[in-house]
Amino acid sequence: MAITDLPTFVRADGPDKVTGSGRYTADMTLTGMLAAKFRYAGVSHARITKLDVSAAKAIPGVFAVITADDVPDVRYSYGIADRTLFAKGVVRYDGEVLAAVAAISPEVAQRAVDAIVVEYDELPIVTDLEAAVADDSPLVHDDLDGYAITGDTPHHGNVGTHSSIEMGDPDAAMAAAHTVVSSRFVADASHAVPIEPRAVIAQWEGDKVTIWTSTQVPFDARNGVCETLEMPTTKVRVIVPHVGGGFGGKCGPHYEPHIAALARAAKRPCKLVFSRWEEFTAPDRRREGMIVDVTTGLDAEGNIVARTGELLLDNGAYMADSSFFAQAAAMHVAGPYTIPNVRIDAQLVYTNHQPSGSVRAPTAPQGCWAVESHTDELAAAIGMDPLDFRRRNIVRTGDVGPTGQTYEEIGLDRCLDMAAESAGWGTTELPDDEAFGISIGWWPSFHMPAGAYMKMHADGKVQVITGANECGTGSVMTLRMLAADELGLDQTDVELVYQDTAAAPDGPGASGSMTLFNHGRAVEKAAKEIAGQLRELAATKLEASAADIVLADGAASVAGTPTKSVPIVELAEAAAEGELLLGSGSTDELEWPEIKGSSCLGEQGFSSFMAPQFICHVARVRLDKDTGVARVLEVHAVHDSGTILNPVAAHGQVEGGILMGIGQALTEGTQYDETGSQRNAALLEYKLQTIADAPEIHTQFVEIHTPNAGPKGAKGLAEAPNVPTAGAISNAIAALIGRPVRQLPMTAERVWSTIAEEVTA
Amino acid sequence: MSTDINAIELTVNGVPYPVAIDTSRNLSGVLRNEIGLTGTKEGCDDCECGACMVLLDGQPINSCSYLAVQAQGREITTVEGLADGDELHPLQRNILATGGVQCGFCTPGMLMSAQALLDRNPDPSLEDIKIGLSGNLCRCTGYARILAAVDATAVELRGTSDS
Repeated sequence: MAITDLPTFVRADGPDKVTGSGRYTADMTLTGMLAAKFRYAGVSHARITKLDVSAAKAIPGVFAVITADDVPDVRYSYGIADRTLFAKGVVRYDGEVLAAVAAISPEVAQRAVDAIVVEYDELPIVTDLEAAVADDSPLVHDDLDGYAITGDTPHHGNVGTHSSIEMGDPDAAMAAAHTVVSSRFVADASHAVPIEPRAVIAQWEGDKVTIWTSTQVPFDARNGVCETLEMPTTKVRVIVPHVGGGFGGKCGPHYEPHIAALARAAKRPCKLVFSRWEEFTAPDRRREGMIVDVTTGLDAEGNIVARTGELLLDNGAYMADSSFFAQAAAMHVAGPYTIPNVRIDAQLVYTNHQPSGSVRAPTAPQGCWAVESHTDELAAAIGMDPLDFRRRNIVRTGDVGPTGQTYEEIGLDRCLDMAAESAGWGTTELPDDEAFGISIGWWPSFHMPAGAYMKMHADGKVQVITGANECGTGSVMTLRMLAADELGLDQTDVELVYQDTAAAPDGPGASGSMTLFNHGRAVEKAAKEIAGQLRELAATKLEASAADIVLADGAASVAGTPTKSVPIVELAEAAAEGELLLGSGSTDELEWPEIKGSSCLGEQGFSSFMAPQFICHVARVRLDKDTGVARVLEVHAVHDSGTILNPVAAHGQVEGGILMGIGQALTEGTQYDETGSQRNAALLEYKLQTIADAPEIHTQFVEIHTPNAGPKGAKGLAEAPNVPTAGAISNAIAALIGRPVRQLPMTAERVWSTIAEEVTA
Repeated sequence: MSTDINAIELTVNGVPYPVAIDTSRNLSGVLRNEIGLTGTKEGCDDCECGACMVLLDGQPINSCSYLAVQAQGREITTVEGLADGDELHPLQRNILATGGVQCGFCTPGMLMSAQALLDRNPDPSLEDIKIGLSGNLCRCTGYARILAAVDATAVELRGTSDS
């Protein structure tokens, strides 16, 4: 492994994390702190006829028990405001919170939870996606139009968002096509599974609340508290200690409002720490199950001339941040191909499952797995090598994509070529039980407003005050490098103040691969302000023009005359006695790429991709046909994520994303019983990949100039590696057994059954 | 509710701690809440994730599923006991250098499993390391850099002991 070739990356939070001195939320204790526990619905769909907490309240050591009656009557969520903090009237999934208890110890809190009396009238449970969209299906929500609805969110019956992308005349083109292939793929739901279960602590002082929480998005968490508890922004402070992984699972406000309300009622600080079972079953952050029906028409040369698709996505009981999922999934099923005639219809369907929400590249791994497996079926139908088929059909610089977006400089063709070469596609002799599979994918970068403050102290040291949130990726750590580069300092001269909504300007936090792309641009602007001040000070001192001052290696010097120089610390010292060195920055709005010739129903911001990232993964897989057990031996990954500023962190994202992708491909599927409850809410039953499962991973980056990119040409990166891995593994398995496995995860049982079907056929 | 409180002494990282605890308490909870060493993490409370791994007389155990009272009279080592004062243990230094730390939540348990492995096998193959760490889940890294860090540490420590 070429780790030693990579430049040194100083992980400022590293020593904390390896010595055990770093504090995560669950590690904290406040004076007088009580244990918080929730009472969950325990049934998937029912009308509440009785909810009696009096016996729970009477238990000695119980300080508060709260329900929907104890918080403002606010319905909230993105897109469709369909939910309340505590169940009100009807419960719609088994992990829905009915009540919260604060008690002197976790044991007493649990006794109180058990003493809450709830009675129900059961309602019909909706779990099957196809049945859920039928006209006669029972409804998860009786009256969606009774909720506040924002954005372009077409809805009816159990369909929360109906989205489509359409271009050209797919029916005519399909009718005229030389070869037509139709496929169906079904993906199970899955989970983010951060190793740290979430935790929340809330403490009131007067009318202000401070909340420590394991969130990826501190400002969203704060806004969620403000909205649901009807509080002004200035009264809620969210502080995020170290976060033990997120992967999207800790996006959105989760239980901050509940614990804030509980602590207010108990008049004591309260602490919630989730068990693994709760982490699996309760939060609104499950990766959605999906049914993909896709048909593609080819001309005689193997060019894609038309594609149609129908997608059903399992939204679960409530909208988390999922209103964009239908359109995002449609984009992935269209794929990064030149397709002149497209119609993809996607419906996000309410069920009585746990709600779906953003998990690392939401909708993409399943959509990509389906369409890339389908792509190999297309290649097979015309006897073309899968690599050649993709070379013929992918989008390249200047091409028009499936929604009419014209791509400026992109590197997908290079991703494909480099991954194939790295793997030895077509040249490496493999044993009979091994095969390569190839898959491509894409993912956008997102613009969101973000700000940064910065100050340089008298000793020349710099503090960056940022709303960015470090959940492990290292991208927040990269912000130091950006500031140091602008100021001519070493990154160790720069200290981060982060994860505190009272201190930092707002921003998206760790979501949507947005840290570097947005918070990075803000940090650059703030640093440029201080750099400008330093240049003015140096110009006066060195009797030169400020425009000629260069900041490098801890000194300000005159360009071309390195002997005329002054240490930056000297300038900082002087400034501390006069005008202070302070900077601030906010992201400039970026222009969203234009789309032409397509129409999109349910527009949710995914019909064009800003600074798009492209990926190609080639997986080498060994299959035991007697047992159906597939083992991934190698993954060759090539990414176009623009400039790579922090190679150690970038490689880490790709490697971690691939392992997560292998899990989703082979072992990670959420299983439900007939009542809508998860059957495998534990790590022995829901299997993550271990170190013994990890393949060799060979990663390369295509670093090309990208218009509209982030700092120094960087795009996002954290989600993209999770997109195509399952597709590559699927195609390797299909190459070995002659047909794709049509269900995700492709468990040994499903692989074996697919082999058996072929034998029977 | 049980009221079976025992006054016992636990020796952690060479320091004796008198504690009064219910017999049913698990070791990870006592380390974190009574003794105040929160480096040991709890990820599943079911021996599935390895975040709570500590050494008991040098043997790695999931402290979430081990009764604290059973650890009486034995030497408990946690992640806080790895460094020599301000000097990081080579495992700690190398896992940072290779990029084997991201969110850091699995790191303490991973380090303890690695320490136990190197104590019993100073010259492990990559396969040995994989087996030694297979009880520790990491969701962030893809493991390659953790593997490289343990391998590098084995080489480094053998070099030190040879000289």
